[in-house]
Amino acid sequence: MEKTKRRFNWKRELKMLPGYAVVIAYVAIMVVMLTWIIGASLSSSREILTGRVLDFESGFHWENYVTAWTTQNVSIFFGNSLLYSVVSCAGVLLISAPAAYVLSRWRFAGSRLIRIALVISMSVPAIMIIMPLYTLAVRWGIRGRILLIALYIFMRVPYTAIYMLDFFATLSHDYEDAAAIDGCSAGRTFWVIMLPLVQPAIITVTIFNFLSVWNEFFMALIFTSSKEMTPVGVGLLQIVNSMKYSGNYGGMFAAVIIVFLPTFLLYLFMSRRIISGITAGGVKG
Amino acid sequence: MKKNKTLICLFVAPTVLCLLLMYVYPVLRTAVMSFFQVEDLTADLGDWRFNGVDNYIKIFHNTGFITSLRNFLMIWIVGGVITLALALLMAVILTSGIRFQGFFRAAIYLPNVVSAVALATMWVQYIFNYDYGLLNQLVTILGFEKIRWLGTDAKLWAMIAAYIYGSIGYYMLIYISGIEGIPGDLYEAATIDGATKKIQFFRITLPLLRGIIKTTITFWTINAATFYLWSKLFSPVQTEGSTIVPVVYLYDTVFGGKGVVTRDAGAGAAVGVVLTLIIIAVYLVTERLLRSSDLEY
Amino acid sequence: MKRFMSVLLGLVMVLSMGGTVLADDGVEINFWSMWNEGEPQATVIAEAAEAFEQETGVHVNIEWKGRDINTLLTASLDSGDAIDIFEDDYNRIGQVYTEWTYDLTEMAEAAGYEGYACFNDQSAAWAGYLNSITEQPQVGGVFYNKAAFEEAGIEAEPATWTEFLDVCAKLKEAGIAPLAQDGAYTNFSFYYHLVRYLGEDGIAALRDNGGWADNEQAVQAAQDIIDLVNAGYLADGAPDEYPASQTKVGLGEAAMVVCANYVTAEVNAAVGEEVNWGLFNYPSVEGGAEPTAAYAGANSLAIASYSEHPQEAFDFIMYLVTGEWDQKMADTASQIPADPSNTAPASLNGTIETLKAADKPMTWCGSLNTHPAWTDMKTLFTELFEGKYEDGAAFCAAMDALY
Repeated sequence: MEKTKRRFNWKRELKMLPGYAVVIAYVAIMVVMLTWIIGASLSSSREILTGRVLDFESGFHWENYVTAWTTQNVSIFFGNSLLYSVVSCAGVLLISAPAAYVLSRWRFAGSRLIRIALVISMSVPAIMIIMPLYTLAVRWGIRGRILLIALYIFMRVPYTAIYMLDFFATLSHDYEDAAAIDGCSAGRTFWVIMLPLVQPAIITVTIFNFLSVWNEFFMALIFTSSKEMTPVGVGLLQIVNSMKYSGNYGGMFAAVIIVFLPTFLLYLFMSRRIISGITAGGVKG
Repeated sequence: MKKNKTLICLFVAPTVLCLLLMYVYPVLRTAVMSFFQVEDLTADLGDWRFNGVDNYIKIFHNTGFITSLRNFLMIWIVGGVITLALALLMAVILTSGIRFQGFFRAAIYLPNVVSAVALATMWVQYIFNYDYGLLNQLVTILGFEKIRWLGTDAKLWAMIAAYIYGSIGYYMLIYISGIEGIPGDLYEAATIDGATKKIQFFRITLPLLRGIIKTTITFWTINAATFYLWSKLFSPVQTEGSTIVPVVYLYDTVFGGKGVVTRDAGAGAAVGVVLTLIIIAVYLVTERLLRSSDLEY
Repeated sequence: MKRFMSVLLGLVMVLSMGGTVLADDGVEINFWSMWNEGEPQATVIAEAAEAFEQETGVHVNIEWKGRDINTLLTASLDSGDAIDIFEDDYNRIGQVYTEWTYDLTEMAEAAGYEGYACFNDQSAAWAGYLNSITEQPQVGGVFYNKAAFEEAGIEAEPATWTEFLDVCAKLKEAGIAPLAQDGAYTNFSFYYHLVRYLGEDGIAALRDNGGWADNEQAVQAAQDIIDLVNAGYLADGAPDEYPASQTKVGLGEAAMVVCANYVTAEVNAAVGEEVNWGLFNYPSVEGGAEPTAAYAGANSLAIASYSEHPQEAFDFIMYLVTGEWDQKMADTASQIPADPSNTAPASLNGTIETLKAADKPMTWCGSLNTHPAWTDMKTLFTELFEGKYEDGAAFCAAMDALY
């Protein structure tokens, strides 16, 4: 991972031993936890309850995964989460990128107010807004997936707009001037020239939006009324509860792994980007 | 560059609409509702009855809400100090030229991308389990009596510990970004002057991180005030006193929980307002205490 | 980019429409269930729904909501979600959802429905009309593993608290933990014990006026539990995180558990074998006000007041709670049948007769669970079983402090 090659220096490394100890301890907990959970997901309930998880006396119970997947139709949950995440990410960009661009370029009546409102909105606790939104949704008869998608888009607009704003601000005005000389309209200039220029920012912010929507729980809990529209977070809770009540502990841990894996795999490929996204100042993911 | 009014309006309108519909209107309505007696969330405005600060009096006289506030304070203060301190420690370690820092950063941030339901299940069902849990296995090896980690005394702390473990990575990355933004020659100069690592940390790193520490405190406060999922996962059958937090109390009050016969949307709104005020107060206080504008580098 | 967007938008439209299945000519009713897919009860309901559709052409669309249904129903009924039938504890149907329940009296009469009088009367007393149909009746008591009793040489089931403590002592001697106890049920166990001393009316009076510490019987009830804990009669780790402790009865590590009959199905499933269950009434105490009352409750079915197909919904309810499918539910999930003319599983012998004879069964924490400080009371009950109180008086003082 680290590209900087350094000659191994015993004295130097020894001085850092306490540091190593701390981070290794952290990682060790995770490794132990995951190992055990994977072991448990392949064991029978009785083995788990009597603490004989990693012995596999009765062999590997792969059927736990089949049960976890089929009894609750996990594919619906994944499908929903994917739909919500992808569509919200696109919708958020469509709404916030133009606004961020305009706000970064011109001062106009209310521009300062909008900026401040965007920053404050990021700190508004969800519970403050959820009750009236619930009332509105019931009144207007909005329900189903479209409701959650709209909420997720709106939920991510402030963060995305602020994030993009900083990037647009770094772009030189020469681009627009040149485009104007070529007779390109201001709107077209934005979509065709300016937006592609901030592609790295788009990718980073989209990753954060994606993860945030994928893992969202509270709104999904309140606004989903049927299984057809349940995303993985709430879905997993249902599976865990169901497995617990029906005494299928192996299936419960299998469900945990099933939900854990896709994000984990995605993270393996994207961690560099995510981490540099945050350490480059993109706080509040 | 020429100002293009139509373009500005068209480009900004959706965002403004979002702000109004998703934030301004709901916040105002919730704030207003907290001063009315409203039973059903979906009740018509005509059914709202003004009752002054009765909702606030009611919640502050309810032991459930008081317990939830106490738990919130524990999460916020104790959890906050530990989380931010550990995150800072790890940030310092991972910027000190340690090997495999890329791997460690990624590994420590990992819990933030995983579904909290999956994480909490691992902790509740494995780490803290009385019979076969990791902690009690360690305790037994060390020759002590097993401990009820999920009993009424320890459950809150168990929950906070699990939550901290998952949160550290995020704050750590924010601190790393701050530390990496500090010019290296400051440290070089300090080293030449004979300052130890420890002195460098307290004299250079910490003061220059003020602004960032302020930000992380605000973030932590928001997260602690809106804490919900972990509480629910640590008391899956029914709301428990040991893990109840304000949002859980609010949910039970507004939507009705087990054994909650009467619903009270007005009181729920009051809870929301109290939490928001707490966030604002914390923000203002940290803003005052940690003024960073006079520090430049 | 634009093309990509339009494809995406199209996808949204299609998928969001998918949620509302286009109705064909047949009637469709929505059933919100308190079970989760995979649980035995859910399996039976799903099969019954399929058979019902075959016979009548009415499609029953089941939403598995799980136990959290009781935190969702009020809001959903209030907002008029598509619900025809819903399933919950008959207490809540009778007390919380009455605003949205359909009057079933006429349809029940027309169908010649009988059920259990104790539940029907109670429902009518709360709502003013029959607003729920009993689906899964439950009785409470002390459930025990017969093998454990045999091993400890216990021949007779205890009837009094003194005999109960004797049984505990014998079990402990034989190396079996006498009593399993999960934290989620400490309220139920202690309420049972309180009822023996005070009766439900006595508890209701204390609930309203406080004064627990001045009530000798309440103090004694708490003291009994403290003595039980101090004698080491609770299973290792109890009060444990549900369902860890109750499972120990199935594993043979503990012998008894105070619960309702669904505990047998849950434990059987967890340990993967049929435990040989026995059941006796919660023991009586000396000088107590209520020596014999047994907990009885039910998961029941109700129809939403705004349902467009109440008759079809009612027909399906009848299909579930009588005859063949009810018997299947009783057998598969080890439940008491909702139809008194069916037969209970062997481990629940005699429960039908008990229920038929009961006129006013004991409730689940009756008046207490509507107390504003209920959440904190539950904490105190769990602490009582954790042995955190010096004596009964200290516990009762803590109860009074909540007022």
